[in-house]
Amino acid sequence: MDRAVSTSWWSRAWQANAPGYLFLLPWFIGFFGLTIGPIITSFYLSFTNFDLLTAPEWVGADNYVRMFTNDPKFLASMRVTLFFVIFSVPLKLAFALGVALLLNRGMRGLPLYRALFYLPSLLGASVAIAILWRQLFAGDGLVNDFLAIFGIQGPSWISNPRYSLWTLIVLSIWQFGSPMIIFLAGLRQIPQDMYEAASLDGASKSRMFWKITLPLLTPVVFFNAIIQTIEAFKSFTPAFIISGGTGNPINSTLFYTLYLYQEAFEFFRMGYASALAWFLLLLVALFTAFSFLTSKYWVHYDD
Amino acid sequence: MTLRIDRRQFLMGSTALAVAAGISPAFAAEALRMIFWGSQARADRTYGVTDLYAKAGGPAVQGEFLAWGDYWPKLATQTAGGNAPDIIQMDYRYIVEYAKRNAIAPLDEFVGGALPLADFDKDQLDGGKVDGKLYGISLGANSVALMINTVDFEKAGLELPGQNTTYADLPAMAEAFASKGVGKKLIADGSGSEPMFENWLRQRGKALYTADGKLAWEVQDAVDWFKMWADLRAAGVCVSAEDQALDTGPLETTMLTLGKASVIPSNSNQLVAFQAINQDKITISNFPRIATDAPGGHYRKPSMFFSVGGSSAQKEEAAKLINFFVSNPDAAKVLGVERGIPCSVSVREALAPTLDAQSQVALNFVANLGSLLGVLPPSPPAKAGEIDSSLFRVISQEVGFGARSPEDAGNALFTGANDILSRAS
Repeated sequence: MDRAVSTSWWSRAWQANAPGYLFLLPWFIGFFGLTIGPIITSFYLSFTNFDLLTAPEWVGADNYVRMFTNDPKFLASMRVTLFFVIFSVPLKLAFALGVALLLNRGMRGLPLYRALFYLPSLLGASVAIAILWRQLFAGDGLVNDFLAIFGIQGPSWISNPRYSLWTLIVLSIWQFGSPMIIFLAGLRQIPQDMYEAASLDGASKSRMFWKITLPLLTPVVFFNAIIQTIEAFKSFTPAFIISGGTGNPINSTLFYTLYLYQEAFEFFRMGYASALAWFLLLLVALFTAFSFLTSKYWVHYDD
Repeated sequence: MTLRIDRRQFLMGSTALAVAAGISPAFAAEALRMIFWGSQARADRTYGVTDLYAKAGGPAVQGEFLAWGDYWPKLATQTAGGNAPDIIQMDYRYIVEYAKRNAIAPLDEFVGGALPLADFDKDQLDGGKVDGKLYGISLGANSVALMINTVDFEKAGLELPGQNTTYADLPAMAEAFASKGVGKKLIADGSGSEPMFENWLRQRGKALYTADGKLAWEVQDAVDWFKMWADLRAAGVCVSAEDQALDTGPLETTMLTLGKASVIPSNSNQLVAFQAINQDKITISNFPRIATDAPGGHYRKPSMFFSVGGSSAQKEEAAKLINFFVSNPDAAKVLGVERGIPCSVSVREALAPTLDAQSQVALNFVANLGSLLGVLPPSPPAKAGEIDSSLFRVISQEVGFGARSPEDAGNALFTGANDILSRAS
């Protein structure tokens, strides 16, 4: 009666799973065609000279050698990105944790506040916000209008090389929503009886934070730090929109990714740009590996 | 109930899909594909002409337009994918690169046939040639020009700048601006404007590049240039470095449109576009001179070309459409002078009486440059764009923000530009 019993394992598995794979097909096509394929191609291209119009020409490791020996803009853009990562990530995490602690005190209307504070993260990487930022921090923008109330004549923040990168760091901090939500979830996991015990022992609020909250939250801090650092290394849109793709003024907002984009799509050096992309990948991988190696000294897992 | 598709059905289905996909370009081949950069105003005019062409029985045209900055990556990507449009708007800066790689097709075989070009200006025709072959049909002649806010000059009680205005006159004009409370600087900071530097060099009897793609100026020229602008900046004649850095390229962020300065360096054909986004009446004039008897810094430049894609299957149809753009009087009336002054004598004559006052200004400006007009320089080397965008502008900003002295900047520009040129070869 049941024919399936007599067929092989393979064909039974196929019959059972074929519809599933069929539904996955669009994703497979996307994954292999739009992700894996280009990744492999870019690795090959990083060893070539390729201007899009003529066929790639094999040059061995020349692109990688040039990066470190004969390209001041590579170093300049690396400096900008590292500065951005070093300042934006800790500040953003501190801000997110601060807001999460405030929201964690069981206030009324919490879901509303949580949604409101999360909103910038949804909008943050968008073109519209970058344009808004341009307006806010221009010489005659809202920020300077506000400062003028106190008699302060502010500079044009976005077009002054001394402050332009800081406006991008502030923009990044403003998008604290996603680490905040994760911190909030982490804070909910900390057992209330620890605080009860501590307060019976007469511990102060700040002592409770440093001795209970923070240590128990370290896995969440660790997770957020990794995610945000990778995001910061990859950051592109705000600098691209605010500087019109130039990295101006004086290359002060020339993020590594922006330089990579210029090399690829402005000067059509696809080979060199691919090499830059692979170096970025390597750098982020090394950073992440380093974080994992050191994590055992400061991340406390509850087990 | 489970969904089951047997392998034969699946194969048949996907084959049918593949066949359909293979067929569809054949249907689309009836329509010509066109790509160009520019504003909405340009797109409206362009599509107005393609509609006329379709009404006259020509094939439909499927157009696509982008901003200048997005245009080149898109075109290069399409070309690399063997998917370049039939008609490609081309710039003087890129035509050599595209021609040498056969990404655009030589049009000589159509001249006299699909492209009569009987009364086409010779200098404009020559501008579209690479190695003696015709690769681009000029869509209009233009010249660099100062874009001027006339209302500000009325307020300052000054005459508009003209053919006798020199750089040395600027400080006095700026004083009038300040004393009459115009509330803007006289002029944008032109130290990072490559066309303005070129115009100034040509008045000195030099040029940006030689015919074989080398620098045609010396360190001292660049030092003098940056020094002149540093003095203008210090005297408050031009805008601050901080304001100038707000200009990221589009017309909307220029010092003129932002209301920071009354005069900016630009191109004559852009008068139409600037007037469209500015309330005050805008006019154009020549760049300042270094002396009233200096040789001509200006030249009639092909503002842009139409080229035919190197892999186009309909080269002749494409050439016919280009011909419609440059030689049909009705098309010219739709296009106006937004891409520059038409290059065909008869089209110019038909167009002139129908133009509005502003377009007349642009037409007359290019026609009346007189002694300010010099010869057309050779097309710039392939890496000229990189020298402009990644070196010249940055160094001018460094001087503006006080990070470099003019002397230092002149040297840095010279060695940096030579580095980029030698890396290209």
